Amino acid sequence: MSNQTNSIAKMQQLTGGGGPKGRISGPAAKAKNPKETLLRVWNYMEKQKAALLLSTLFVILSSLLSLSGPYYIGVIIDHYIIPKDVPGTIRMAGMLLGIYLAASLFTWLQTYMMVNVSLKTIGTLREDLFIKLQTLSLNFFDRHKHGDLMSRFTNDIDNLNQALSQSVIQIISSILTVAGVAIAMFSLNWVLAIVSFITVPLMLFVTRQIVRISRENFSKRQKDLGELNGFIEESISGGEVITLFGKEHDTFTEFHTVNERLRQSAMRADIFSGLLGPSNNFLSNLGLGLVIGIGTIMALKGLITVGIIASFVTYSRQFSRPINQISTLLNSIQAALAGAERVFEMMDEVPDLKDKNDAISVSRFQGNIKFTNVSFSYNNERKVLQHINFEAKAGEMIALVGPTGSGKTTIINLLMRFYDINSGEILIDGRKSKDYKIRDLRKRIGIVLQDPYLFSGTVMENIRYGRLDATDEEVIQAAKTASAHGFIKHLPDQYNTMIASGGANISQGQKQLLSIARAILADADILILDEATSNIDTRTEVEIQKGIRNLTEGKTSFVIAHRLKTIEQANRILVIKDGELLEQGNHDELLDQRGFYHGLYSNQLRI
Amino acid sequence: MKSVKKLLIYTKPYTLFVVLAPLLMALEVTMDLLQPLIMQKMIDNGIANNDMTYVVQMGILMIVVAIIGLAGGVGCTIYSTRASVNFAADIRQDVFKKIGHFSSENRDSFGTGKLITIVTSDISLVQTALMMTLRVFVRGPLLFIGSIIIVFFQAPELFPILFVLIPILLFFIILLSRRAGAWFKRVQEGMDQLNTKLQESIAGIRIVKAFVRKDYEIGLFKKVNDSLTKTMTTADQIITILMPILMFVINIGIVIALLLGAVRVGEGAIEVGVILAFINYLNIILMALMSSSMVLMQLIRAFPSAERIQQVLETKNEVESIIDSGQVSAIKGCVEFKDVSFSYSKNGEQVLKHISFTVSKGEQIGIIGPTGSGKTTLGKLLPRLYDVDHGEILVDGINIKNITLESLRSSIGYIAQKPILFSGSIENNLKFGKSSATNEELAIASKHACAAEFIERLEARFDHPLTQGATNLSGGQKQRLSIARAFVRKPPILILDDATSAVDANSEAKILQGLESDFDGTTTFVIASKISSIIHADKILVMDDGKIVGNGTHHELLENCPLYQEIYHTQAEKGGVVVE
Repeated sequence: MSNQTNSIAKMQQLTGGGGPKGRISGPAAKAKNPKETLLRVWNYMEKQKAALLLSTLFVILSSLLSLSGPYYIGVIIDHYIIPKDVPGTIRMAGMLLGIYLAASLFTWLQTYMMVNVSLKTIGTLREDLFIKLQTLSLNFFDRHKHGDLMSRFTNDIDNLNQALSQSVIQIISSILTVAGVAIAMFSLNWVLAIVSFITVPLMLFVTRQIVRISRENFSKRQKDLGELNGFIEESISGGEVITLFGKEHDTFTEFHTVNERLRQSAMRADIFSGLLGPSNNFLSNLGLGLVIGIGTIMALKGLITVGIIASFVTYSRQFSRPINQISTLLNSIQAALAGAERVFEMMDEVPDLKDKNDAISVSRFQGNIKFTNVSFSYNNERKVLQHINFEAKAGEMIALVGPTGSGKTTIINLLMRFYDINSGEILIDGRKSKDYKIRDLRKRIGIVLQDPYLFSGTVMENIRYGRLDATDEEVIQAAKTASAHGFIKHLPDQYNTMIASGGANISQGQKQLLSIARAILADADILILDEATSNIDTRTEVEIQKGIRNLTEGKTSFVIAHRLKTIEQANRILVIKDGELLEQGNHDELLDQRGFYHGLYSNQLRI
Repeated sequence: MKSVKKLLIYTKPYTLFVVLAPLLMALEVTMDLLQPLIMQKMIDNGIANNDMTYVVQMGILMIVVAIIGLAGGVGCTIYSTRASVNFAADIRQDVFKKIGHFSSENRDSFGTGKLITIVTSDISLVQTALMMTLRVFVRGPLLFIGSIIIVFFQAPELFPILFVLIPILLFFIILLSRRAGAWFKRVQEGMDQLNTKLQESIAGIRIVKAFVRKDYEIGLFKKVNDSLTKTMTTADQIITILMPILMFVINIGIVIALLLGAVRVGEGAIEVGVILAFINYLNIILMALMSSSMVLMQLIRAFPSAERIQQVLETKNEVESIIDSGQVSAIKGCVEFKDVSFSYSKNGEQVLKHISFTVSKGEQIGIIGPTGSGKTTLGKLLPRLYDVDHGEILVDGINIKNITLESLRSSIGYIAQKPILFSGSIENNLKFGKSSATNEELAIASKHACAAEFIERLEARFDHPLTQGATNLSGGQKQRLSIARAFVRKPPILILDDATSAVDANSEAKILQGLESDFDGTTTFVIASKISSIIHADKILVMDDGKIVGNGTHHELLENCPLYQEIYHTQAEKGGVVVE
C-alpha cells in the first residue's frame, strides 16, 4: 500500500501536475516512467496472486507435457514399432493419448484462468477509474473533453487487456524453452553454442531501440485517438445544432484534420512496431547462417560431426521462436503501457476539493447562512465574485437578482461547495462550510439546477434520484407537488415511461418539472432554485410555487429568477451586478432606495 | 458475413497494398524455407567434397536470402499497415459523415452511446482484424493446404487419417467461432451500455454531485461494468477452448498414426520414415491452424463490429433531401402549415394534431401555451428536424420536402431552448451561423443579442475559449451567444424557442426590440411562456395539447380565447410583466 502511494507521489513529480490549483494538464510530452506504470499494473494483478500462481503452474505442466510427447514418439518408434511389438505399441499409444489429453487440459485451464485474471484486473481498473472520476471536482470536468475521458475507459483499458491476457503465459513458456534449449546446446558443443548466442545481444539492441521509439509512437497514437473521440462525442451530442446550422460539412472538415492526424500517427506506430518481427527474423536467420557456416568449417576441420550441425540448426530455430514471440509481446505491452499511462494520469488527478481531516458530519442544518467578504474566480483570471457579504436567517427566502453573468449561479456553486472560495468565508449554522463533510453538506441542500439534466431510465427512477429509498407513493407525491403529475399521467407508460439519454424525448419545461420533483423528494434543509421554472408556463409555475411554499416552510431557500413577481415575496433580495453585491433588502426597501433594483423593476413593467 | 464483404469495398483504393502485403509475406516465408535447402547443399556438397570456396559461396547466398526475406517482411509490415490504417480512417470518415447527416430521429434510435462506440471501438477492431489478416492469415492456410497435399503424395497410406481429422477440426472451428461471434456481439452491446453510462455521468456530473449520488452512480457503473466483464469473459473463454481442442484432435492423429504404423509396419506395408514424416506434417498443420485461429479470433471479434458499422452506413436517413429541386430562388419567408399532425413514435400519441395556419413574410408570430403543449415540436418541424406524419408545410408556397435541405435550413435561424455551444472560441461558435461572417457582422449580431456587453468584458473577447458545454459561461450568457449565432445568419426565418428564459428582463426587452427594428423583413416565430415576450406579435397562436386553440392578436385573443385570458390573468397577478 505504501508502495502505491509512494509511486503516486513519484508520478506526480514526473507529470509535473500536483499543485492545488493545477492548470490545464497539458499533454505531458516528457517521457514517463514505463517501469512505474508496469509496477502499478502489477499492483492490480497482484490481488489475484492465487489464480496467477496456479495458471503459472499449469503453464509449466502443459509445457513439460508437450515436450515429453515427442520424446515418447521416439521411444515408441525405436522400441515398439521397429521391434514390431503391437500390444506394446497399443499400451504406449494409450499412455501418449493420456499425456496429450492432460496437456490439452492444462493448456485450457491456464488460458481459462488467465482470461479471468486479466479481465478481472481490467474490470477493477475500470471501476477504480470511475470511482476516481466521481471524486474529481467540477474543475476537472470543465477542463477535459468528455469523449477523451471516455476514451480512457474504453480504448486505453482495452489495449491493456490484450497484453495482459497473453503476456504472463508467453513469457513463462518462452523462458522455459530458451533455458531448455540453451542447456541442450551447451552440452552438445560449447563453441557452436557461443556462436549461436552471438546474435542475441544484437537482437536485444534492435528490440530495445524499436520498443523505445514504438512507445513514443503509441503514446502519440493514444493521444490522437483520445482527441478524436473527444471531438466525435461532442459533435454527436450536439448533433442537432450542427444539423440546424447546416454545419455538417465544416464539422466534417474539422473531423478530417484530426482523423488525418490519427491516420499518420497510427501508421507510424503500427509500421514501426511491426518492423520488430521481420528484423528479428532476419537476425535469427543470420545467426543460423553463422552457425552453419562455422559449423561446416569446423566439420571440415573434423572438429564436429554433421549430426551436431543438424541438431544445432533445429535448436537455433527453437531458440529464436520464443525470442521473436517475446519481442512481439513487448510491442503489445508498449501499446498497453501507452494506454495505462493515460489511465493512471487520470487516477493521479488530485481532487481540489477534499474533506478536511477533522471534517464534521451533520444530519440537519438550521439554515443560517453567512457570506463574509467572499471573493472567487474560476481559474485565477477575472474575479467572478468580489467581497460578497450577506446573511440568511433560518427559514428565510432569499432571492438573487441581477443581469446575466453577474455571478448569481456562482454564489450557488460556492454554497454547494462545487468550488472553493479564494478568500473570505462561508458560514453555515455558525461554522465554516469547509468544516463540514462535503457529502453531508450537499445532502442537506436541495437544488434545482439551471440545466435540468435527466438520466436514461424511467420517470420514476429519475425522480427517485432525489432520495433513493423513497417509496412509489412518495415519488408520486413529489411529482404532484411539482405539478409534474399531470403530464406524467399522459405519458404512454406513465411513471414507467423511459426517458432517453439526456432527456431527449420530453420537453424542456417537462424536464424542469421532473427536476423540481427530484429536488422536492430530496427533502433537504436548504433549497436552491436556479432558474428552475424558466421554461415552464406561468399557470404551472404558480401551482409549483404554492407547492414549494408549503415545502419550504421553515427552511432557508435561495431563488434565482428573472420574473420580479416571483421575487417580490422574498424576505431578502440580493442584487448582484458584475460580481458585486449592489443592494440588498426586501422588495419595498429596495424600491424605496430607487437604485438598480428600482430600475430593473420599472423597466420590466414598462414592456 | 455480408456486412464484412460490403465493408471490404473500402480496401479498394488500397488494392495494391492488400495484394502486395501477403505476397511479400509469402516471399519472407519462401526465403525462410530456402534456408534449410541451402544448408543441406552446403553440408552435402561442401563437406563431402571438402570444398571451402563452395561453403563460402553458399554462406554468402544464405545472407542474400536472409536480406531478401527481411525486405519481404518489412514490406509486408509497411503495406499491411498502410492498407489497414487507411481502410479504417476512410471508414471512420464515412461513418462520421453519415452520422453528421442523420436526422434527429435516426440519432434518437441509435443512441449517443452506441454511435460513439461504433465510431471509436468498432472501427479499431476492424482495423486490427484486417492488419492481422494481411500479416499472418495468408501464411496459415498456405501451410495447411500445402501440408495436406504433401501428405497425399508422400504418405498416401496415412492420408485417410486426415480424411477423418480435418472435418472434425473444421467442425470445431466453425462451431466455436459461431458461438463466439454471438458473444462478441454482446460484448459490443455491453460496451455501448458502458459508454452511455459514462457519458451520462460525465454530462450530468453537476446533478450527481448536487445530490451526492457518487455511491449510487458507482453502483450503477459497477453493474454495467460487471456485466461487461462477465460477457467478455464468456466470449474469451469460448475461444480459449478452441486451442486445446485443436491440439488434442491433431495429437489423436499422431497416436492413430503410431497404432496404424505398428500394425502396418508389422505387415511390412509401411515404412517408419513415412510415419515420421506424417507426424512432422501433422505438426505443421497444427502450427498453421493455431496461428490462423489466432487471427480467426480477431476476425470473429470484428464481425459483429463490421455489422454495426454497416448498420450505420446503411441507415436510411429519415429526413431525405431531394436531389436537386431545380431553380429555387432565395426563400422569402412565407410559411404555411396545412393540417399538420405529428408523433415522435410511429404509433404513439400525436404531439401535434391538425395544425393549420399561415404567416406572411416579415410577420412576427408568437406561440404560447402550457408546458408540453407542442410548441417546441412545431418549431422543430419547420427546419425538418423531423418530417410531418400528415399534412404539409409550405414555405413560399412550396412543400418543404421539395426544397433542398441545405437551402431550407440555411434560411432558418433556429434558437433552441437549450443553448448548445461547442468547445472553442466564442468567434468560432458565432461563425457557426455563417462561416464567412466578418468581425463587424459578429459584433453587430452579438450586440443585437445583448451578448456584446459581456464579451467586451472578457479578457480575450471573441477569442475567449469555451469549455465543452460552455460550462464557463452562465446560463444567460450561453443563451445570448446562441441567439447571436442565429442572428449572424440574417435569415429570412427566425425561430426563437423560449430562447430568452435565462436572460434578464432588461436584456430580453432589448433583444425583442432589436428583433422588430433590425429584422424587419424576417419572419419570426417567438415561442414563449411569458405573454410579455409576444405581446407585440402580429399574430399569436395559443396551443394546448397539440392543438391550436386561439389565433389572433393580443387584443383579439384577450376577447375570444379563454386559455389566453387565463394565462394573461395569472401573469398579470403573479408572473408580473404585462402592464401595458
